[in-house]
Amino acid sequence: MPSIEKKSRRNYIHIAIWALILSIFWLLLSGIYNPLLLSFGAVSIFVVLLVLRRIEDVDKKRQHLGTGLRLIRYIPWLIGQILKSSIHVTKLIWGSPSKVSPTLAKINISNIPPNKRVLYANSITLTPGTLCVDLKGDELTVHALQKSSITELEEGYMENKITGIWGKSE
Amino acid sequence: MFILDIISSVLLIAGVFFGFSGALGLFKFPDFFTRMHAASVTDSIATILILLGLILQTSFDINTAKLLFILAFLMITSPTASHALAKSARHGGLLTLPETQVKQQERTY
Repeated sequence: MPSIEKKSRRNYIHIAIWALILSIFWLLLSGIYNPLLLSFGAVSIFVVLLVLRRIEDVDKKRQHLGTGLRLIRYIPWLIGQILKSSIHVTKLIWGSPSKVSPTLAKINISNIPPNKRVLYANSITLTPGTLCVDLKGDELTVHALQKSSITELEEGYMENKITGIWGKSE
Repeated sequence: MFILDIISSVLLIAGVFFGFSGALGLFKFPDFFTRMHAASVTDSIATILILLGLILQTSFDINTAKLLFILAFLMITSPTASHALAKSARHGGLLTLPETQVKQQERTY
């Protein structure tokens, strides 16, 4: 069991990292750097940190701040997928809208770690042609514009990408 | 700068084209769920292309960062909104197209 002193030090580091991130965020959003507005920024960051501290007392499980490096590997691939399926759906729109074969299917996601399931569901919704309707336990309900997109999902191309980057759940 | 302008206008025009296609699909597709797929073309690719085109128009200063923030937030919020809409429609009892066809056949017999 970690001593209380060690724990509080870790707390301070955590708060400091948050303060740094929030300051950068505020500075990038503001763009006007005179003393009055900067002091407003400092006050608002302080208030957010105060709220954060209190919320983390309630929330027992601390969320780790990732570096986002893995996300940088994932996003370009996702944009490529979005482009590919957008072109597919656009072809359907201009060509023959009656050719659609709407399908509802359940997809097993027990391979994906729990904190990455939202990412998976959001990626499915973000790619045109597939839409995540429900997420319950280990099952994802997906609505697809065409049956072929469901088989593509079941083959696990996107799933493998996520488990390849973030690892499988035990 | 000239090359950047050309790339930017190509991205913007492509974005506008996809946005328009999404709007058209919204009218052409048969039911609620399929129409959501058409709307998601506007949601995802059109936003990405237009924002990338706009980023190339900036002089790579603080405005670029702001546009990147907008892009990041839209990538999170738009699928969340679509999911909320689809989930509430499903839980409200709206049937998909094949299900309604089955139901109509049952009624005719």
